[in-house]
Parts: sequence; C-alpha cells; structure tokens
Amino acid sequence: MKFWEAMTGSDLTRDWKAFEARAEALPADYRAAWEQIKAHLFSYGDFTGRNLMPILDNALGLLEETASDGQSIHEVLGDDIAGFCAALAGGEGARSHRDRWREQLNRNVARKLGRLGG
Amino acid sequence: MDDLTEMLKGTLEGCVLEIIGSEETYGYAITRRLNELGFADVVEGTVYTILLRLEKNGLVQVTKRPSGMGPPRKFYALNDAGREQLATFWAKWEYITSRIDKLKEGGR
Repeated sequence: MKFWEAMTGSDLTRDWKAFEARAEALPADYRAAWEQIKAHLFSYGDFTGRNLMPILDNALGLLEETASDGQSIHEVLGDDIAGFCAALAGGEGARSHRDRWREQLNRNVARKLGRLGG
Repeated sequence: MDDLTEMLKGTLEGCVLEIIGSEETYGYAITRRLNELGFADVVEGTVYTILLRLEKNGLVQVTKRPSGMGPPRKFYALNDAGREQLATFWAKWEYITSRIDKLKEGGR
C-alpha cells in the first residue's frame, strides 16, 4: 500500500467502486442480500474497515458463483445472514462467546481422548 | 427433522471433511450431498464459511477450474493435515456417541 493511499484511503474507494460494479451485475434479490451482508459485516470492521475488504471480496465471489448457478438467494444464505457474516468474519478478533465455549468443550474432549490413549 | 442446525454445528466441519475426503468436490455439490442426507437446513453459505475455515487452517488443497458459465469454481481436496483432522473427528465422534448411547441406555 502506498503512503498516499494509506493516508487518504483512496485504495479503499477504488475497491469499493469495483465491488459495487460487480454487485450491480447481480440479480435484484442477490443485490438486496449484498446490502445486508455489508451492513452486518461493518460491525466486524477495524478503524478503516480495511480488514473487511478480503472478506467482502469472498462474499461477493460466493454470490456471483451461486447466482450464475441459478440458485435462489434463500438456497444460498438461508434465513441467517447475520450468522453467515459472523462465520465469514470469524477467527481472531471476531469470535463470539459461543465459539470460545465450543473450543473449551473440544479441548476437554481432546484431553479425555488423550487419557484413553485414543 | 427441523431445527437440527444447532446440534449439527459442531460436527458439520467433520461432515464436510468426510465428503471432500471421498472425492475432490466443490461447494454446491457438498451442500447438495448434505441435503440428500437429510440435513435440509444446510445452505450453501454455511458450507462456504466452513470451506473458508478449512482453507485458512491449511487442511485442504484448492484448485480453481473454469466452469461452463460464470466465474471459475473452487474445487477442494484433502491434504495430509486434512486427512489427519478427519481421523481425529471420527475418533471424537466415536467418543461422544458411545457416551451418549450409554446415557440413553441408563448404564454407567
């Protein structure tokens, strides 16, 4: 990233324009889902939102692939767009309470398995 | 059966690993396979986020192939780490099911 871009965010503006151009080509229901995905993902953004760019790119890629398959948006995302976005944003910095709880459970099972010599 | 999703969540990753383990495949086909098995609530978005995680954790090998129409498709195959993870999944599954079966039978 060039200094000028880092200071002004001009690279982000360019990325956004590219995203929106791709989103324009999607069917109407997919475009509506895209708007929702953006809205949900914003809560996972860092200060500049730069961390979201690859995630948004992935999400848009999925929408493009599935739209060209002729699937309905409901077949692709179901009812839980918020959950989808949480899973997309997943990993570090965006972990929900439940993930941590599940990790703990997994650790305990692994420990017991180890004790059994399994 | 409705509302399986919550119960399925922890095991879905293992199911996806198993499906990829039997042959190289792509997201849509994996989703259809799960639907055929009776997991009707599983949508492609769910599978997609699992695939992203598998990729990030270095368990799968990803190949991009052009599709008939639209953007190229990503095909997934297990690598050695993935096969190891799959074996671990089945070991955990054995553990959980044997314990729960015991509980159901009322034994100890």
